[in-house]
Amino acid sequence: MALFPLTSNFQGDFVLQLLPVDTENTMDEVAAAAAHHSVGRRVPARPGHTMRVRQQGAKEPLPRTLKVSESGLKPMECIEVIWE
Amino acid sequence: MANLGRLDWYDLARTTNWTPTYVQEDELFPPEMSGSMGIPMPAWESYDEPYKQTYPEYVKIQREKDAGAYSVKAALERSKMFENADPGWLSVLKAHFGAIARAEYSASTAEARMARFGKAPGMRNMATMGMLDEIRHGQIQLYFPHEYCPKDRQFDWAHKAYDTNEWAILASRHMFDDMMTTRGAVDTALMLTFAFETGFTNMQFLGLAADAAEAGDWTFSNLISSVQTDESRHAQIGAPLVAILIKNGKKAEAQKMVDIGIWRAWKIFSVLTGPMMDYYTPLEHRKQSFKEFMEEWIVTQFERSLIDLGLDKPWFWDQFLEELNYQHHGMHLGVWYWRPTVWWNPAAGVSPEERAWLEEKYPGWNATWGTNWDVITDNLLAGKRELSYPETLPVVCNMCQLPINATPGPTWKVRDFPLDYKGRTYHFCSEGCQWCFEQEPERYKGHLSLIDRFLAGMVQPMNLAGGLQYMGLAPGEIGDDAHNYAWVEKVRAARQKAAA
Repeated sequence: MALFPLTSNFQGDFVLQLLPVDTENTMDEVAAAAAHHSVGRRVPARPGHTMRVRQQGAKEPLPRTLKVSESGLKPMECIEVIWE
Repeated sequence: MANLGRLDWYDLARTTNWTPTYVQEDELFPPEMSGSMGIPMPAWESYDEPYKQTYPEYVKIQREKDAGAYSVKAALERSKMFENADPGWLSVLKAHFGAIARAEYSASTAEARMARFGKAPGMRNMATMGMLDEIRHGQIQLYFPHEYCPKDRQFDWAHKAYDTNEWAILASRHMFDDMMTTRGAVDTALMLTFAFETGFTNMQFLGLAADAAEAGDWTFSNLISSVQTDESRHAQIGAPLVAILIKNGKKAEAQKMVDIGIWRAWKIFSVLTGPMMDYYTPLEHRKQSFKEFMEEWIVTQFERSLIDLGLDKPWFWDQFLEELNYQHHGMHLGVWYWRPTVWWNPAAGVSPEERAWLEEKYPGWNATWGTNWDVITDNLLAGKRELSYPETLPVVCNMCQLPINATPGPTWKVRDFPLDYKGRTYHFCSEGCQWCFEQEPERYKGHLSLIDRFLAGMVQPMNLAGGLQYMGLAPGEIGDDAHNYAWVEKVRAARQKAAA
């Protein structure tokens, strides 16, 4: 359990944002944390869609239950949160 | 006995490259201060400044300029400009004075370095007057806003801003310190007088003076025009220098410094001037869009200056032209969304009429930037203002220190440009900013961005209140919507009319 900073790049938003998460968070929890700072603030919600996390430039999203501590993500690495 | 005409004695009088006998040349002109790239002394004597002026002439003309600017101010002091001005226009004034006034003092030290350590006698002569110009610009741009302080505390930031760690000032200081206070005379001349002043500020001041006149602020229009006349003179320090560098085989070095200067200046312009022109200036007073202004006055004219002098267009020119379409829209949205963190009240500039203007000037604005503003507008219409404030920080670039942003919505072009250097990962907003860093990584590597400072625990407590305290923003100074959200009611009325 440790605070872990990431950079959130949320699909449809205009700016990178600081995203403090926990090393025990899953990718779904990371996506939800990122959504808190974008969806309903500048990005419209998309009911019925799932949010997925991928590394910047990757084609495939990371597994939904993967923990931050297992992901190989570096502090402040830019993750893209995309609708699926 | 008749006096000699200026041109009969000017060249002789400025021939001041005497041969030192008590010290070596490098002691008189230390290479790190002169930045002369090993070019021999006789070559510097061929420097031929296009604007020849003597000190008595300078004093006489400056005295007249000051008399003009101060008398207009005195005459209009009882006018109701402040009370009658659109709040968006007052925000232009606050942002301008805070970001610029104290930087002018900094610029006077840059001119002083050229005046003392420049190896070309003509450059030293011009820079001596440039140094006095910049002191004047610092003083006059502190004195004029001072009368507004009792009416509005945010004007106190004309003097205060530069001593704080407010994020926009971190960005401004990072750039100005880079080009004005930490380089030798040659690099300073290339970056400050040629890239920044010739390329950008000279024209910006003309544009701003026109907008001020249009907005009925004759005091500011007169002030800024007066400053511009000085800029147009001392900005010419760089051009003859470029000629000497190219002639002596230093084109690549000159090009690099000019390119860094242009890229860095562009980024600051995108956050300061772009929002002023396209969002803060009341719609009925806008002369042209920021993009039109940049294309007409900066791109076309500066491109010609570069080519005429024998330099090339910077390698990033196409990217720069592309950014004219979007970068300032993102800077504006960021400033408005994080409005408690600035010392002025940003005008949203997105009423129905203003959005129509934005769509006309930037086709596709509604389908991209409009999507983000739609959500903000809907929240405000629904009384959910809390959702229009941030709960985290934007990630800023390790070069320009500005939020990393790009076009949102369906096209969504936002991305990070990360770079590992000696065990630390740096984040950049663009290839241009990353390239600047890579040219001189040892120079820039130690700087901490606001985000780096936050993560290092330097901002306490780690929340908005702690952030505002770190940035020096006291209650009564923090920004909010310039028009107190009156534009939201215009949207409501328009929607009701459409629905009826």
